[in-house]
Order: sequence, then C-alpha cells, then structure tokens
Amino acid sequence: MTNLQKQFIVLLIVFCPLLANAQIKYGADAPEIALPAVNGDTLKLSSLKGKVVLLDFWASWCAPCRVANKGLGKLYSKYKSKGFEIFGVSFDKDKSDWKKAIAKDKITWLQVNDDGGWEAPTAINWRIDAIPTSYLIDQNGKLIAMDLAGKELEKKLKEILED
Amino acid sequence: MNKLFVIGIFTLFVQQAKAQFSKADLQATGLTCAMCSNAINKALQKVGFVESVESDIKNSSFAIVFKKDASVNIDALKEAVEDAGFSVGGLRLTGLFNEVKIAPDQHIKIGNSQFHFISVKDQVLNGEKTVTVVDKNFISEKQFKKYSSATKMDCIRTGKAGTCCTKEGLAEGERVFHVTII
Repeated sequence: MTNLQKQFIVLLIVFCPLLANAQIKYGADAPEIALPAVNGDTLKLSSLKGKVVLLDFWASWCAPCRVANKGLGKLYSKYKSKGFEIFGVSFDKDKSDWKKAIAKDKITWLQVNDDGGWEAPTAINWRIDAIPTSYLIDQNGKLIAMDLAGKELEKKLKEILED
Repeated sequence: MNKLFVIGIFTLFVQQAKAQFSKADLQATGLTCAMCSNAINKALQKVGFVESVESDIKNSSFAIVFKKDASVNIDALKEAVEDAGFSVGGLRLTGLFNEVKIAPDQHIKIGNSQFHFISVKDQVLNGEKTVTVVDKNFISEKQFKKYSSATKMDCIRTGKAGTCCTKEGLAEGERVFHVTII
C-alpha cells in the first residue's frame, strides 16, 4: 500500500463516524430521550414502544409552535385510543414558562423539558436548529417521517393506525 | 514640516471621542419566526469581535457582548443576520462615554467608525449610554423615512461621507453610521 492510500484509509476511519452521525435517517432507531415531565418524574421516549409517537420539539416562546399545538390537540383526541402518542420536548429555560404554556394551550399529551435552550443536550444530539421540528416514530421505535403537520400528519396516521 | 502641519490640522478636526461600545441589542425580522431559528445566534457568534450572544426571548432580540477593546464593525453584524436569511429590524449599541459632546449632524469617531448623530439635542454624553442605529436596513422602512428627513446631508441615504465632509477630515466615501438617542 502506498503512503497516500494509507492516509486515505486513516482519513476514512476518522471521518466515518462523523458522517454516519451527520443526519438522523429514516428507518434508524430514535435516539433515547429521558427527561423530567411536569411532575418531575423521568419520562423515557423508549417506554412508548408499541405506539406511533409524534416527537415534537418546541418552546413556549415559539409562536408557530403554539399555533401548531391547537391542531395537535384535535389529532391527539382523535387517534390516542388507536395507539397514537405525542412526546413534546420543550427547550424552555424557565420551567414555569413551559408549565404556563401547557395550561394555556390545554396540552394533555406527554411533556418533558430540557431547559438549556438551543444548547440543551437533546437539541444538540438531535441537531435541532429551528422549531417547531417533529419526527414521527413507528411502533418499533424507528424514525419514519419528519416535520409532518396538519393534513399530511393526519393522512399518515390514518395510513398506519387504521389499516 | 509642512506635512506635519497638515496632519496636525486634520487631527484637530476629526473628533476622536472617548467612548467605546461594549454591547448591543439586535432585533431580527423575517418571514419566519426569527427567535425560532438558531441560525442567527450561530452566525453572530462567528463574528470576530463578538464575545457572546444570548437570545432575549421576552424582547424577541439578541443580546450581544463585544470582546473587550475589540474594534466593532456594525455592518458585520448586519451581514451575519442577512447571511442567516433574516434582516435587522433594530440595533442598539451601548457603551461608556466620557465627556463626549454631540449635536445634530455632528460626526464623531468611536472606535474605528464614524458616527453621525441625528435628531439629538446638543448635549454631553457621560457614563453608560445607548444609541440606536437609524441607517437604511437597520430599522424599518417607515422609521428610516422619518429619520432620513431629519437631515439634509446626503450620507443618510448612502451611508457614506460625501465631499461635504472632507473638510472635517473624513475621507470621501468613508462609511458613516447614523445614530440617534431615544
């Protein structure tokens, strides 16, 4: 092997893990999230296996997220009994802002808080650069779609849960 | 000898103020929610003279702290915001002033930049003061119209010193930032 080839292989070995990590891929296992719920108990994303989960990243100060909450409420009450769950992750730095928003938007689905804003470990791990961002996770804990909302989300839920 | 004399005269005309900006408060605007994207934050953090950026959620603005004694280029802040896909809706600069006399249409050098005060009363600035940038693309179009009508000098529209200012020691075409005190 020439020196150049050796260098190339070294580079490949060094950069491959980075490349593999660069994007969250469809069909991949959803990375675990374990964060405190409103009552302080730790809630794990992995505990929802068997259900179709909408993982929703948001914050109380994000106006478009608050608008989206209204639509989510309707979908939630319609599909909850069929095996649909919503796992909301807020990046609010102040937990009281988060709790106020939950009350105001009448959120009844699961909620956890990672109170570090854009620097929250969950935001970094999931590469969240803008909110709202959401992922749809299937019954086996695999990521199947990103940023589905409104009619598109309902269509997908119908497809998975009513067939 | 003659050259020295000329330089001496120019030094008298260009007023180098005893002032230094240490922080800024920037509002971004755009078609989508500016606070809901981390792009502006990241872009501002990459600007050389920026020490730190904090999103101020309650005021929908970014609190920027400059590196100590760094030379501040306000246009670089605007470019960072624009590169992130947004525009500047407001920029307020805060710094310490020491016996700085200001008057309408007065040019004052702060750090490496020329500042032109608009719609202000004659006064002497002391201690921590905040100025608002009123240049085009640093405020809304409506606000810009209001401030640009407050001076007859052409630099408010071009952002650059005209021939009129060379007697004050400003090079023709030198960037001039227009500010006011609210």
